[in-house]
Amino acid sequence: MHLGKMARFDHLVKPLDRGVPLQISIGGVPLSLFIQEEALLRPASRRYREFAQNSDNGFPVVLTQSDGRTQPRVEFSYLLDDARLILGPEFAEFHGVRHEYALDSLLRILLTMVLLPQRGVLLHGATVVRDGRAHIFFGRSGAGKSTVASLSPRGTVLTDEISLLRYSHGCWQAHGTPFWGEFRAAGINRLFPVAGLHLLKQANDDRAEALSVKEALRALLPCVLFFTTEKRAHETLLCTLMGLIQEVRSDRLHFRRSAEFWKVIAA
Amino acid sequence: MSEFITRNPKLAWREIDGETVIISPEDSLVHELNETASLIWKHAEGKTLQEVAERVSAEYEISVEAARADVDALVTAWQQKQLVILAAEATG
Repeated sequence: MHLGKMARFDHLVKPLDRGVPLQISIGGVPLSLFIQEEALLRPASRRYREFAQNSDNGFPVVLTQSDGRTQPRVEFSYLLDDARLILGPEFAEFHGVRHEYALDSLLRILLTMVLLPQRGVLLHGATVVRDGRAHIFFGRSGAGKSTVASLSPRGTVLTDEISLLRYSHGCWQAHGTPFWGEFRAAGINRLFPVAGLHLLKQANDDRAEALSVKEALRALLPCVLFFTTEKRAHETLLCTLMGLIQEVRSDRLHFRRSAEFWKVIAA
Repeated sequence: MSEFITRNPKLAWREIDGETVIISPEDSLVHELNETASLIWKHAEGKTLQEVAERVSAEYEISVEAARADVDALVTAWQQKQLVILAAEATG
């Protein structure tokens, strides 16, 4: 697999003769979704309405119910239940997607691959924007991501489930995503500079404990969405995370179920 | 017997502040090495156990015999975790 090639992701791709695509952009990645089935197109249009973006250079993603792939060269493939993602240099194919949730899952997997050479990652985390800067609250399932999001009335919640971080415009930016947990909102397609990474730990007090580079890496690695077993991809991921950790302060945030933790973050 | 150490070529790893984080992509395991283990990891590739022991001996000012015992134990543990391969001939 040659992931470096994906770095030229915004080049003009050849249009496919598969009708009018649903054009969206997530994390600055333009995608053209070719969905044949009305029953899937309608919910997908609703789900990604905040991320709709007319663009001529969206990377084609072709949804098909057939099993046979048409990719001349496969760079990555992934089977998720009955649905399969096949990624080639010119376009991606989604096979066997029968509902919007499967589409959502394959899009997340695709984005992990596309963002990787662009210094971007998807992370199990809630993103809350306060005073124009994004705070990433990350942790495994049950850590309190949705709780933190719900305790942030003064903030704008970009996601309560999957944070999208990407280095652009000279700094790390958090992008809104359509990937949500309990909030089930449509999402906000905007980006904000990242102020901090907060590893969530539910506790009886509110305090922030600075993480060393190694501690931060150890905490982040299990929270990164990553699906390839390819060595070079993992090396790139390590490099990307190191860049993130070295440029953005990180801490272990002990928090109670109240909005008081914001005082700790602001301190 | 001289056995040459080869790091598992499928692993991704990175040194951080003198310590090493190793990712095993195929099973998504993360291994962490302390400073001493990291020194051995860094200098092990293509070397024999004895050569690595001599390096550790010089670095930490301990006898070669003591260093060799530590290196043997560590490399055996790494073998079990499939972090390294021991071969009669150097590879690569």
